[in-house]
Amino acid sequence: MKKKVLSVVLASAMALSLAACANTTTDNGAATDNGTSTTETTNTTDNTAAAEEEEAYQLSTLRMVVDGTLTANEDNRQDAFEEQWEKAVSEKMGYAVDLVIDQQDHSGYKDAVGRILLGGDLPDVMIMSADMYKQYQTTGLLWNMADAYENAEFQSRMDMPLINQNMKTADGALYGFAPYYGNGCVTYVKQSWADAVGIDLSTIKTYDDYINLLTAFATGDPDGNGVDGDTYGVIAAGFGKMDEAPYINYMSEFYQGAYPAILQDENGVWYDGFQTQEMKDALLRMQDAYNKKLIDPETLTASTKIAREKFFSNDQTGSSGAFTYWAGTWYQTLTDNLIKNEVDTDLVMLAPIKETVDTWGGYLNREAPVWVILDDGDGNDARENAIFKAFIETMLDGGTVQTLWTYGAEDVHWSTKAEEFVLNAGTDKEKAYSYAEGEFHLKQAPNDPNSLWKKNLIDPALVVAHLNDDTPAAAAKGTDLATQGNKFFTANCVDAPAGASCQTLTDYAADIADAKNAVIASVVTQNGDVDAAMEGYKTAVGAIIDQALAELNAQ
Amino acid sequence: MSKKEIRFTSTGDPVRQKPLSLRIWQNRGFYFMFLPVFAFVLIMYYWPMLGIRFSFFEYKASGRGAMTWVGLQHFQTMFLNPIKAPAFWTAFKNTIELSVVKLLITTFASVIVSIFLNEMQNIHAKKALQTVIYLPHFMSWAVVASIFSLFLSPSSTGLVNGILQSTGVLKHGEYVYFLASSVWWKPIYYLINIWKETGWGTIIFLATLSGINPELYEAADIDGASRGQKIWYVTVPALANTIITVLILNLAKVMNLFESVFVLYNTAVYDVSDVISTYIYRQTFATMNPDYGFSTAVGLFKSLVGCVLVLVCNWASKKTRGRGII
Repeated sequence: MKKKVLSVVLASAMALSLAACANTTTDNGAATDNGTSTTETTNTTDNTAAAEEEEAYQLSTLRMVVDGTLTANEDNRQDAFEEQWEKAVSEKMGYAVDLVIDQQDHSGYKDAVGRILLGGDLPDVMIMSADMYKQYQTTGLLWNMADAYENAEFQSRMDMPLINQNMKTADGALYGFAPYYGNGCVTYVKQSWADAVGIDLSTIKTYDDYINLLTAFATGDPDGNGVDGDTYGVIAAGFGKMDEAPYINYMSEFYQGAYPAILQDENGVWYDGFQTQEMKDALLRMQDAYNKKLIDPETLTASTKIAREKFFSNDQTGSSGAFTYWAGTWYQTLTDNLIKNEVDTDLVMLAPIKETVDTWGGYLNREAPVWVILDDGDGNDARENAIFKAFIETMLDGGTVQTLWTYGAEDVHWSTKAEEFVLNAGTDKEKAYSYAEGEFHLKQAPNDPNSLWKKNLIDPALVVAHLNDDTPAAAAKGTDLATQGNKFFTANCVDAPAGASCQTLTDYAADIADAKNAVIASVVTQNGDVDAAMEGYKTAVGAIIDQALAELNAQ
Repeated sequence: MSKKEIRFTSTGDPVRQKPLSLRIWQNRGFYFMFLPVFAFVLIMYYWPMLGIRFSFFEYKASGRGAMTWVGLQHFQTMFLNPIKAPAFWTAFKNTIELSVVKLLITTFASVIVSIFLNEMQNIHAKKALQTVIYLPHFMSWAVVASIFSLFLSPSSTGLVNGILQSTGVLKHGEYVYFLASSVWWKPIYYLINIWKETGWGTIIFLATLSGINPELYEAADIDGASRGQKIWYVTVPALANTIITVLILNLAKVMNLFESVFVLYNTAVYDVSDVISTYIYRQTFATMNPDYGFSTAVGLFKSLVGCVLVLVCNWASKKTRGRGII
């Protein structure tokens, strides 16, 4: 009897809870409160009143969700950045705005965004990769900021207006804002290894030259340990990142004109680049190089961290001579690590090979990450306009706030006060810095006094609107290598193809990625027949690809 | 329905039970102490189960948290959709195969090691060995995967490939990519599981072995039994009931396979390594705007299979041990 009573009680509790939950969830299909504390003064219907309302709308808190690209994280005095942002923005807006930073783990950011949006407690702004943005831009979750963007103050200082203009939909809507362009990867080669195998890197012009270089690295003794053939030509984090455009970045010499995704031809017709002859040729090039042990076999499973660390490891046995990775700041970072590990002092950037230039035109500049404003769906743009003004417009104000996003907090991450400091004091890597009063300079990184702070979220070399000349940071000089890297990439890049977005692709993204990965693994690492593998791909997801293409071409 | 049992006092009068409310009131102290436990069970065990309702809804991040009733559509997609069903059934088959084979070989290995440990005469060596073989159990799967990835690396720094090359099994420059080979992945997975879990699995068998009546061995000695015969005719039969119990209890958990596979698999071996939990993970987190309803439906199916296995095990336990496990 007791068991029965207990069972009835438990079942009733579950049923009641279920009913309660169902009620809650069915009610919130329409507008949801995003949790932002706000103050509205009027609620009228005529246009004048609405404009007045927008004018009067005041944010009290602004919650942003960001990934690891905000380098002023909690270990790097994010509190100082937040405090100075609040002070500067509150002065600009004429009322106090409290910034709440929700910084998510970088590698799990995609999952985190899904969970946050699913929870219904929407933040005010969040950063999204280009792929993520494509998936969400038509969902109604993101606010169309086209008008606010056109009227923004930073338009007068815009250096690269096309970056954001190109993100507009066919009907002119703009759901995200990119404060900097996407950046891309270039191929780095260790100079000492090239010297050891007697190859002049300036002669690497074609795919054959590149393969000869890799062969020399893989069969010779470029690391000078007395053993031939214990090194590799190149390593990468995968043979193609099928979940991150532009996919071919880390192996561009092998992909050449191939692109493993849906893209548009010159007539605007969408087609599947994965099923083209170019893709088959690319797979066979990788297969050949893999079989000849020019590519580190761990490329299949290596994460970017593992690939990087193998490249600059202090034990160069099993390392590679070439590594295709991000341009700009990473040029400095990779070189610093090679020097720190006493591997090499010079890293050389290779210009794109002829085959890449002839097909794409150069290295691919990925579509930029964007900031989006979450629409509360109440049909009134007052809150969203206020967020645009407080967050996005100030982000490129050319002065204090742009400096905060670019270099971090004053006197914490950078300063104009006279000072001297030494990095790696007492070691053979000791380096002294001395600055006069008024001279803009970066300080020691808060979490590592032995390294120099580099930048905050915005890369100064990639930003779409410049700082005002009277801003102290306008006199900043990037590190030599980072600046060189950015210039080199900019001179040798073209924009990556625009990504496709439709419901079918969203619904079957994981299945399509699995099918592509299966083909790549089968052909490249298991010496599989490329035609048979492609047939397998068609059998697995061909129907869904056709459906997606039909949707896209009907748009 | 069984007839209610009537109890009698020593004088033959039927016992008159007090009303439930009165009994609760009289034992209110105990019920009060039970309340936190009851609340804990409700919140931690039953409240999360409400999430199973998602499997009957379309539930996407793009829907602002709203859910759309779709009935059994997700189950139809899972079982029959030509795009999703093949991967699902592959994952289902792999889950059963990997779990059951792993269970059988780790249990077998634990029994063998337990018997060897039981036969060891040097108590210090026995304790040292026990400690050494228990240790891997306490390492996280992430660490274990890192260690074995280094050992089995196909690059020139890989220990196993290096040994195979230096002993002439492989030619110089040749290698086996153990963790990216559909042929090698499963044997390596089982091997790693044996290394990690065998030691821990011996605890329960050693406890059983310590409880065997020494007189049985003395009798065997008198009968002239050899050491091997004593193991075969005394030790193994004594362990039989425990072996069956361990197998039955673990059989109920065969669907719970995620971490060990997740840290060791890769795109080249999905066909032999993908299990239901890793399939759910990719369907949910490898896409930008996942339908959590579909993921929940797959999870619910996994739970239902697990539930059936528990009931089967309970039935098997009643048959073999005379009492159930639940």
